[in-house]
Amino acid sequence: MPQPLTSKESSLFRQVIRNYEDKQYKKGIKAAEQILKKNPKHGDTLAMKALIINSQGKTDEAFALAKVALQCDMKSHVCWHVYGLLYRAGKNFEEAIKAYKFALKLEPDSQQIQRDLALLQIQMRDYQGYLTSRKAMLTSRSHIRQSWTALAVAYHLMGDLSEAESVLTTYEETLKNPPAKTDLENSEAVMYKNSVIAEQGDIQKALDHLESAGKHNLDRLALLELRAKYLLQLERKEEAAEAYRALIDRNSEYKLYYDGLTTALGLKLTDHKERKDIYDGYAEKFPRCDAARRLPLDFLEGDEFREAAAQYICRMMDKGVPSTFANLKHLYADDSKKETLRAIVQKYIDRRKSDSSEETQTNGDASKGIPAALYFLAQHYNYYLSRDLDKALEYIDRAIELEPKSVDFHMTRARIWKHYGDLQKASDTMEQARALDTRDRHINTKSAKYQLRNNQGEAALKTVGMFTRAETAGGPLADLHDMQCMWFLTEDGQSYARQGKYGLALKRFTTIYNIFDVWQEDQFDFHSFSLRKGQIRAYVEMMRWEDHLREHPFFSRAALSAIDVYIKLHDKPLVNGMNGVGEAGGDDAAERKKAAKKARKEAQKAEREAHAKKNEPNKLKDADGEAKKQDDDPEGAKLAATTEPMNDAMKFVTPLLQFSPRSIEAQIAGFEVYIRRKKYLLALKCLLAASALDKEHSQVHGQVIRFKLAIDQDREALAPKTAEIIKSEFTLLPAS
Amino acid sequence: MDIRLLHPSDIPHVQHANITNLPENYFMKYYLYHALCWPQLSYVAVDISRPKKTPYDYPRIVGYVLAKMEEDPPDGVQHGHITSLSVMRTHRRLGIAEKLMRQAQRAMVETYGAQYVSLHVRMSNTAALRLYRDTLKFKQEKVEAKYYADGEDAYSMKLDLGFIREQIIDEEGDDAADEGDPVGE
Amino acid sequence: TTGDIDDEIPVAAKSAEDRKAAAALSSLDTPRDDDTTVTKDVDREAVRKAMDRLAGAGAANAAAAKKGDDKQAPKKVIKVDQADVTLLVDELELSKIKATELLKAHDGNVTSALKVYITPPETTTAT
Repeated sequence: MPQPLTSKESSLFRQVIRNYEDKQYKKGIKAAEQILKKNPKHGDTLAMKALIINSQGKTDEAFALAKVALQCDMKSHVCWHVYGLLYRAGKNFEEAIKAYKFALKLEPDSQQIQRDLALLQIQMRDYQGYLTSRKAMLTSRSHIRQSWTALAVAYHLMGDLSEAESVLTTYEETLKNPPAKTDLENSEAVMYKNSVIAEQGDIQKALDHLESAGKHNLDRLALLELRAKYLLQLERKEEAAEAYRALIDRNSEYKLYYDGLTTALGLKLTDHKERKDIYDGYAEKFPRCDAARRLPLDFLEGDEFREAAAQYICRMMDKGVPSTFANLKHLYADDSKKETLRAIVQKYIDRRKSDSSEETQTNGDASKGIPAALYFLAQHYNYYLSRDLDKALEYIDRAIELEPKSVDFHMTRARIWKHYGDLQKASDTMEQARALDTRDRHINTKSAKYQLRNNQGEAALKTVGMFTRAETAGGPLADLHDMQCMWFLTEDGQSYARQGKYGLALKRFTTIYNIFDVWQEDQFDFHSFSLRKGQIRAYVEMMRWEDHLREHPFFSRAALSAIDVYIKLHDKPLVNGMNGVGEAGGDDAAERKKAAKKARKEAQKAEREAHAKKNEPNKLKDADGEAKKQDDDPEGAKLAATTEPMNDAMKFVTPLLQFSPRSIEAQIAGFEVYIRRKKYLLALKCLLAASALDKEHSQVHGQVIRFKLAIDQDREALAPKTAEIIKSEFTLLPAS
Repeated sequence: MDIRLLHPSDIPHVQHANITNLPENYFMKYYLYHALCWPQLSYVAVDISRPKKTPYDYPRIVGYVLAKMEEDPPDGVQHGHITSLSVMRTHRRLGIAEKLMRQAQRAMVETYGAQYVSLHVRMSNTAALRLYRDTLKFKQEKVEAKYYADGEDAYSMKLDLGFIREQIIDEEGDDAADEGDPVGE
Repeated sequence: TTGDIDDEIPVAAKSAEDRKAAAALSSLDTPRDDDTTVTKDVDREAVRKAMDRLAGAGAANAAAAKKGDDKQAPKKVIKVDQADVTLLVDELELSKIKATELLKAHDGNVTSALKVYITPPETTTAT
């Protein structure tokens, strides 16, 4: 039962809340304890104390106390709210939502609980729930724009565009005067509304709205881009052309604008000359523009191509632009262009040479020309579509002879060794390049990457350590981890995997998995913040991106690598003496259990050691002097000691297949795990998907055979329905 | 190379470019904060000639400028700030950094009425100094001692954006007659 | 984790850059008084009317939705065999709820549910 507090205690209680909000946790606890001395069963105070304890990192203790609080006062919305907050802190959003809802039932007018609930609902993409919350919030705060915008966003995200638009319009109609031109929130609201109109497909209406309400919009670029796009969609070609010209004048390095202009002018893809003329005009107008000079190379052919390419290349060579090859290599898909480019560069060298022998060089910069051209040819012969590594090496050595201190040249030399397969030489060469410019992090990064490829983990860490922050406890690795440095974690993990150090490999891949969780969690604050800032389009864009966050190659690469390690663990458990023992071994299961037990013991030992290490002087503390949460498995020993690697792999398989279903590697990896788990229908699903993506893939072929063998062997264990489905759907092999 | 506005989905690769090139690094959330607070200000350079390897390839970012408006400016004057800018070593000498900066500067004036833009640069970074001082005409304000984590000092630099305001007025000269029209419906 | 960021502003941040970033991030979730953004230009009476309309529309929508439901609901009472649910949970590793939904979407026909589930989307659209 709730206990009434005296007025002195009531003010103490308010102080506890203030202390919590100001993060003065120790003071807060002191005040709470003062109340509890007299009222040991005061639910709200117990709850607040639990909340503070939780903020200090003592999660378990906090939960236990929050439960006590609830037992003391089941009818307190504070207790339920805190209960929800604790779940939320522990990222158990579903339970948190339940607790908030309970709290809200007890205190329907609490704006804070309503707000917390709404935030969780949108984070969880419970659109219906969010809509309900937003309606309630609008009722209590209907005089501010935010409440209306938020309701519109709720409709928008759940796909009810016309309702979203009508909510926005309703708010606009409540305004007595049109907002000032400089009103940023209004400016963005107009553009947001415009995006909602356009998404409904009524382009004419969107254009009209843009040209009236949006005419003087503060987001000038969006206004110009949308107007051009709408005009083109409406086939108002002359105006569209003019609009795209205005955009190119603003920014002449965006292909989309040139494409828009070409389309607006009604030019066919085959009108090479007319199209080239447009680009030439801009090349003349903007002397420093790259796009206008480079883009025509994509569509020109034959002599026209040769001429334009020669012009482009000479200009770039003269300036010594290192990215010339990178900017042109996509043209190599066309065999004749590939050969033409090589010939042009060769000719450039020959001509320059004769020039210099006649000593007619007037331009001091011309000295860059030959090395740049040699560099281009080295990259040409190093590229997979035109590879001749001996020639590549010859050209890069000649370039280096002329410019011995060029970091770029040495970098390419290292890449050539990599392609030879000589990882040691590649790593050594990259290290030489790094030594030429020790203040440049880019080359430092490359060197570390090559060291990792060559399994020189310690050296790599030392290399990156030259740029990570020295004060970070835990050294360079901790800093890279803090800074979410995906490339290093991935390469380090893959290096450990190659060396058979599966624990550390899994550790790195799991870290990447966790960073994606953090990235997903990162949205949370913006659900309220973006509304406050009034930047709605960007918020909606973020929401949509976050919905498929894990399709990112950073995720799939780590996931595929992790799955691969788990498969290795499954096929050859990680034990002395067990390696290489086939599945046929009689006491396999028993042996494996024994092995796992041993590994676990080792993991515990490693953990104790790591723990001891962490307690050394320069341990990390945060603002409140609390030690940062200890990593209880720094070496990943626990991960590798798993007795169920295939179940653990699912942590990666599930999101991989969910978010990257069109990746053949994902389907192949999924099959490998499902077939080992004897989930034949799911294995078949992967197999069918992979084969639909690429019938000729050699690994898919192998999997088809293995699937057949597996189901033949396991026929008796199959559920009749399963067998029936496999029979009808597994048609990848000709019936025997 | 495309020069275009930064979108939230670009952020992982922007973060990658940053940590590859520079010692000052940030959480993803700090990039999000820029992209969501001032979505008009940050720009990226994208390598569009890279052949696609998977159906899930993301645009490859070879340069970026991460820009913001100063919140509650101490001098009370609306101004922008460059949080971070870098271009991959493999794509230097194309004027990418300058082009990124010019787009950001213009948007600062157009959308947020910025009077000037400020930034910090390492005293030893001669290439960056050349860009800001010589090409973009930034003025050196003062030295901030030990600004960077490794103890290096920073130049605090500033560029008055009045010239962009004038440019805009010039360009919209024809439009001037409309200026009196009410905004909205 | 990001949830901790607020608590992690280092006492002595390592550099001015870090201090700026930390301060900006910690301010993100600080609840502010929303009332500061009240537009003085809002016509209170108009707001009231708009709210009334919204409530009316909401009720109408809800009624319409309900009606729609009523129309649809009695049409189909799909019986789902629990053994089939169990099979789907086991073979496809779906939750019980998802498995039931999938079966219902196929009128309780387990064979067609299984077939469609394992067929790649491209093929489904082609046939």
